[in-house]
Amino acid sequence: MNTLKNIASQVLGLPKGKIQDTLVRRETPEWDSFNHLMLISEIEKKLGIQFTMAEVEKVQTYGELKKTVENKTK
Amino acid sequence: MTLKPFAETISFYRLHKKEIEKKDSRADVRIALLPSSTIAGLKETMAVHCHEMGLRPDIYVGKYKQTAQEILDPKSDLYNFKPHIIFILSNVRAALGETYLGPYAISQGTRKRWFERTLKETEKLIAVLKKSDAKIVISNLEVPTHSPLGILENKEELGLQKTVREINERLCDQYKKDVQVFIFDYEGFLSRIGKQNALDPKLYYLGDITLDPQYFPALTEQLMGYIRPLKALTKKCLVVDLDNTMWGGIIGEDGLGGIKLGPTPEGRPFWELQKYMLSLSERGVILAINSKNNLEDVREVFKKHPHQVLKEEHFASLQINWSDKVENMRRIAEEIGIGIDSIAFLDDNPAERALIRSALPEVSVIELPEDPARFLETLQRLTLFDAFSLSPEDKKRSEMYTTERKRQSLKKSSGSLEEYLRTLGTTITIRKASPDSIPRVAQLTQKTNQFNTTTRRRTEEEIRKLTSDKNTLILTVDVKDNFGESGLTGVAIVRLAKENWRIDSFLLSCRVIGRGAEDGLLSAIIKRAKRAKAKTIVGEFIPTPKNAPAKGFYKRCGFVLAESVGKTEMWEYSPIKNFEAPKTVTVKEQ
Repeated sequence: MNTLKNIASQVLGLPKGKIQDTLVRRETPEWDSFNHLMLISEIEKKLGIQFTMAEVEKVQTYGELKKTVENKTK
Repeated sequence: MTLKPFAETISFYRLHKKEIEKKDSRADVRIALLPSSTIAGLKETMAVHCHEMGLRPDIYVGKYKQTAQEILDPKSDLYNFKPHIIFILSNVRAALGETYLGPYAISQGTRKRWFERTLKETEKLIAVLKKSDAKIVISNLEVPTHSPLGILENKEELGLQKTVREINERLCDQYKKDVQVFIFDYEGFLSRIGKQNALDPKLYYLGDITLDPQYFPALTEQLMGYIRPLKALTKKCLVVDLDNTMWGGIIGEDGLGGIKLGPTPEGRPFWELQKYMLSLSERGVILAINSKNNLEDVREVFKKHPHQVLKEEHFASLQINWSDKVENMRRIAEEIGIGIDSIAFLDDNPAERALIRSALPEVSVIELPEDPARFLETLQRLTLFDAFSLSPEDKKRSEMYTTERKRQSLKKSSGSLEEYLRTLGTTITIRKASPDSIPRVAQLTQKTNQFNTTTRRRTEEEIRKLTSDKNTLILTVDVKDNFGESGLTGVAIVRLAKENWRIDSFLLSCRVIGRGAEDGLLSAIIKRAKRAKAKTIVGEFIPTPKNAPAKGFYKRCGFVLAESVGKTEMWEYSPIKNFEAPKTVTVKEQ
């Protein structure tokens, strides 16, 4: 999942070390609602997958994001 | 400067923007963006593009969906920002509101009234904005591709799609002659990238984002077409390579019959590229060649290849030799008389592109895809040559450079400079600036770098104000000779105080320098000063890295250096003395 971490680090402007499963959206100022959309959008394009709108809204932590992506790339 | 393909993501731009902002803070272009949906990320993208062009932008983004309020309130942040250019980015969903999805819930009459009202409101807003000095760019509306009527949509007299098309048309008509207001064809832009791709429904519903930010770089590139002429950064000349750029294959190896050019699958990409380049030349882009080849081989293609669209006379400079391309590029600029920074370079070879890019960073090196089938679309997308106006001189420009080549060869074969000038038979016509010539006058003040005494740039609006000022005289000069007409190629702006006249600007297009036009124009000023009984004429000179050709002009004409203020030199002349243009030039006054 190195690529996912790279994308998240670039879009959110956070060092890779900070991108942990426990990273919570509403506690991370860089992960605001616009950046969240950009993050999803770039993941979709770079990994060739599609999120539904409900999935986009459901993701609250990096761990959940990783899991959703894993399920789609399996 | 590098023109990158549009592969970068918004996060790339947002990170770069931070780096740029660290480096400098003095802005030299203020851009206002007034959106009607979320455009977060566009500002950063634009900042990076501006920075690549050597600009330091300051970009203001209007408050979300408050464009009208900001325009109508004279105390709004928009006006405090004092923008040089304002982009109104309209959005069909916001503009049409309920009508967008339910167009036929209202009667045709109501639709028509709505349509007229919407246009009037837009025009009213623009009229308010026009009081500022800013250029105004308003995007037209995306024509919907859906209709509840399905296949019957175009049977309606004023259906949904027609309503939007009509708005777009009427907007264009309204501002056709306006030099301050421009309509950006956003509908055309969306058609190119594909309307279905442009809108990501998730981004739209969750964030009111109506253009997927992955297209912001492409959008920005189109909008830069308005920023470049604003800052006199429009490119004047397209320099091209030959082998595998203008035709497929290598002429020196494959020969006349072997190169790919013409109506065959392999030849058509190059054939069409040449046709497009010809149309660029016809609108005033100067063409030149920078190629490693034997000149004779290339001449054979010009003369004998049945599908060679561009002929020798279409090129203002032919650097076809085995020297390195950097040296050739310098020679091209010198021969044509333009700055290196006015050049865009088209070459299929990535190594040559890299060479030019590193040696001459002021050249715009066009990044070409590997496949020649994609060359044409790359060229068609460029906004490097965009200008706010095209004068008759622009359209004839390529022809003029060709006749200039003929003049140069006459000069070489003439025994003396005087004999050359006599054979040329130059006639100049002096006129006062008039409404017809104002756009050209402004353009010359914007673009002339070399024979320009003060390099004061002026907009059309500023020139227009000056022409109605009693104490300002603007003279223009048209130049023609036995080879043809160069058109309006010189301007002098003179400030008239009672007894002291001051030549605020004096400039000539470099291609007419040295033929007596400069002396002719100066003699016309001096004659008028004498008639008005002025005691002194002061010619200002401000040196720049580019205006060496104008240095020494006043001295040569008998002016005396009276004082220097900082870099500015004041050269004085007493108009009691007569000043005559050389006999080799005929001066007409109108």
